[in-house]
Amino acid sequence: MAARRNKKRRREQSEYFFDYSLLFIVLFLLGFGLIMIYSASSYAAFEEFGNAAHYLERQAVASVIGLIAMIVVANIPYHFWERFAVLGYVVSAVLIVMVLSPLGVESHKARRWIGIPGTGFNIQPAEVAKLCMILFLAVLVCKIGNSIRTMKGFIFMILAPMPIAGMIYIITKNLSSAIIVIGISVLMVFVASPDYKKFIVLGLGVCCAAALLIFLITSTDLIGGFRSGRIQAWLDPESDAQGIGFQTLQALYAIGSGGIWGKGLGQSMQKLSFLPEAQNDMIFSIICEELGLFGAVAIILMFILLIWRMMIIANNAPDLFGAMLVVGVIGHIAIQAILNIAVVTNTIPNTGISLPFISYGGSSVIFLLIEIGLVLSVAKRIQLKEL
Amino acid sequence: MLTSNNKIFHRKKIIALFFLLTLLFVVLFGRLVYLMVWRAGYYEELATRLHERERSIKAARGRILDRNGTVLADNKTVCTISVIYNQLQDKEEVIRVLCRELDLTEEYVRKRVEKYSSMERIKSNVDKTIGDRIREYDLPGVKVDEDYKRYYPYGELASKVLGFTGGDNQGIIGLEVIYEKYLQGEPGMILTVTDAKGIEVDEAGERRIEPVAGNDLYISMDRNIQTYATQLAAQAMATKEADSVSIIVMNPQNGEIYAMVSVPEFDLNNPYEIPKETLAKIQGSLGEDTGKDDTEQEDKAQNQAVSEAQTAGDALSAEQRQDILNGIWRNGCINDTYEPGSTFKMVTAAAGLEKGVVTPESTFSCPGFIVVDDRKIRCHKVAGHGAEDFVHATMNSCNPVFITVGLRLGVDDYYYYFEKFGLKKKTGIDLPGEAGTIMHKKEDMGNVELATVSFGQSFQITPIQLLTTASSIINGGRRITPHFGVKTLDEQGNVVEEFAYPVEEGILSEETSATMRSILEMVVSEGSGKNGKVEGFRVGGKTATSQTLPRGSGRYIASFVGFAPADDPQVIAIAIINNPQGVYYGGQIAAPIVRQLFENILPYLGIKEYNEL
Repeated sequence: MAARRNKKRRREQSEYFFDYSLLFIVLFLLGFGLIMIYSASSYAAFEEFGNAAHYLERQAVASVIGLIAMIVVANIPYHFWERFAVLGYVVSAVLIVMVLSPLGVESHKARRWIGIPGTGFNIQPAEVAKLCMILFLAVLVCKIGNSIRTMKGFIFMILAPMPIAGMIYIITKNLSSAIIVIGISVLMVFVASPDYKKFIVLGLGVCCAAALLIFLITSTDLIGGFRSGRIQAWLDPESDAQGIGFQTLQALYAIGSGGIWGKGLGQSMQKLSFLPEAQNDMIFSIICEELGLFGAVAIILMFILLIWRMMIIANNAPDLFGAMLVVGVIGHIAIQAILNIAVVTNTIPNTGISLPFISYGGSSVIFLLIEIGLVLSVAKRIQLKEL
Repeated sequence: MLTSNNKIFHRKKIIALFFLLTLLFVVLFGRLVYLMVWRAGYYEELATRLHERERSIKAARGRILDRNGTVLADNKTVCTISVIYNQLQDKEEVIRVLCRELDLTEEYVRKRVEKYSSMERIKSNVDKTIGDRIREYDLPGVKVDEDYKRYYPYGELASKVLGFTGGDNQGIIGLEVIYEKYLQGEPGMILTVTDAKGIEVDEAGERRIEPVAGNDLYISMDRNIQTYATQLAAQAMATKEADSVSIIVMNPQNGEIYAMVSVPEFDLNNPYEIPKETLAKIQGSLGEDTGKDDTEQEDKAQNQAVSEAQTAGDALSAEQRQDILNGIWRNGCINDTYEPGSTFKMVTAAAGLEKGVVTPESTFSCPGFIVVDDRKIRCHKVAGHGAEDFVHATMNSCNPVFITVGLRLGVDDYYYYFEKFGLKKKTGIDLPGEAGTIMHKKEDMGNVELATVSFGQSFQITPIQLLTTASSIINGGRRITPHFGVKTLDEQGNVVEEFAYPVEEGILSEETSATMRSILEMVVSEGSGKNGKVEGFRVGGKTATSQTLPRGSGRYIASFVGFAPADDPQVIAIAIINNPQGVYYGGQIAAPIVRQLFENILPYLGIKEYNEL
């Protein structure tokens, strides 16, 4: 008894902070994700592999690897990584190019993965690039210091991630990952720079460009091809129900038929091969169908909580580098979650973005957990006195 | 290290970022509320439609009943056996059982069982007992669906009137077509929840939308009269070796048809079967040249033709087959026109009397011919009828007298009455494919044409048209619509609709009509129609013998129109014998048919003998 009380007192008196709330939110999302992956994929997995838990097992393995990596990273002081910033940038570039090498793996009509010889697991260079970009920009912000206030510094910061984003888009044909890399960078620069005007102008500019593009596609035949078809399918998914609009429409069927309380866990009809790859990008629609608006709101609240916890950590980070790292992670998770839900609900045109911690995807979950490890590492450096 | 200044704006920026991201989540939340609350019904319905596979359940087609409630067209429960590939487990077992129970070859069943399709039909119209037996095997993937098949208890009876139905239970000919919307009912559905590949999801169960049975149709036909008329017609066709014999029995007061026969009839339960005799005849006409030369071998050739016909039945092209079938299904009473001949003198007489160009007492003289313009038209009695009044001219069916009456009317008036009597229009009978009248154009009609029309030649009408016009001449001048349909009843026996038919009043005055009745009664009692006389009843009528085109071919149509009682007609009948061999006079071969018919049906219909009155 005495020893236990003694131990408890020691923890209360601990000098440093460990964010258990953040950890629990992440563990909840991971666990929930595994349940939903099993629910969404078991039917198709049994059809295809004769093993209903095929996807669940693979995701569980990736989650365990990710959790181990997270604990390791959380216990390494984050300044350790500062020296690898440039190396990380180069490595991501090399990995992206390696997709074209014989090690590259093609799946779902796109060449975006690198096979790790002998393991049967694939790694997506875009996921590596996102992590490396967060590290690189955090270091860059610290190095550049006050010159970020100048126009030159600002433009330099905006252009720094472009080569990687460009390579992701051109080499792996992965527009969504490129957008996420750019999005993370913009958010980090936004926090690093004291200015608001530039970002409002930038935001308005992007909105106008998007509106102009949509206008051009819908009113003229000037721009054709795959992406314009996606725009058409977005504006009216029922117009091409068997083609490009198919997946979106199937997702809407799932969401709509969920109603307020949902059909109950495991009761989704759309996962019975109607919605292709239900465990991937479209898993949120299965959540909606099975758990209803109630479940969907719960997930959104969990993401808001997650971001809130990370915001607290960023605000109390002992130094700029730590704060910027956390901001990068916030950007990454928030952008992906928002874009994913927006795609599934047909709020924006369809593009492949996975829901963090929940969608099936090994690379994604491992790198996300490493990022959480970084955040926890930053949190550990917060001195409780300062709170 | 963060300076305090920097730290403040970073914190502000991070908080701004948090609120920006939260705002975006709130927008998405709004979008979700819109989709999952407002649009939920819409998408749910679409999704349900996507998930459910439907199998339709045939609705029981309404029955057709005669005026006494005898069922003429009914439904029989049959089964359709089909297999669902994705649900089959033991294919060999299924093939074995289906071969044995359905009496099919293994090759046939195997092909269908092993075909990869969502649902493959093995056999339809399977007897219910066999269907039940297959269901008892409880084989996964084998579906036994109950289904209705149209069944006609009296086989050939009134085949051309009732018609039959096709594979989808839709009417093909006859009343089955005209009353389709009453008879068909609404098919039900079995909805099963399936995955994207069409495999049933077991837990989801089935949803049934029950079919609504069609309404029963009551028709004016009387099965007994129809049966008797069919017997008479078949008998006449056999003894006179005629091509066909038609009989129509109708109520001249309201147009209700009691019987409509056109032999040869066909088996309604096997409408697509071509009888062997028909095939033999077709084959015979094809092989005529070889058969005729050698009379000794004629019998042999005949036999050969029959056996050839059996093989030819399969060899016929689909088009030839359909042509033959259409011929078999044709209802001569309404689909074909003919030259009515002397029966049409009723119309000429009625028009002449109505206009006043002739009275029953008017006297004429018949030298055996009449010259119209440059044409000499002969009477059927070459020696001539001599002096006669109009009543006797009608009794004698004297052509020159009726030509004279026609010419007295002139083209304009004759045409006027022709149209007024409704002869240019169709009768409007509730059967499909009624043929129209083929008549000279008024402007093309000269005296010669008028003369020939006056005694029923050089134009064509349908038998039902003649009978309908005759009815309006004797019923006091009311043009009635001949019909079968009386009313429809729903499953519970409630009247859904009683049919009303148009009646055109006053196409002829009552006096003229009465005069016509008495003249036509004279025709039967003492004139050319005396073979139509029925002991104890007052019968009126008119005979006809018309040569078919081309003239001189030796083909005749013998006919007789009779009605009773002559003073208050309750029933009118026409008998038409097409191409009889031997004696071909209507008065000698057609009138006795109507006599025999009346002898039986007048007491049956409750019409009293005049001495009982």
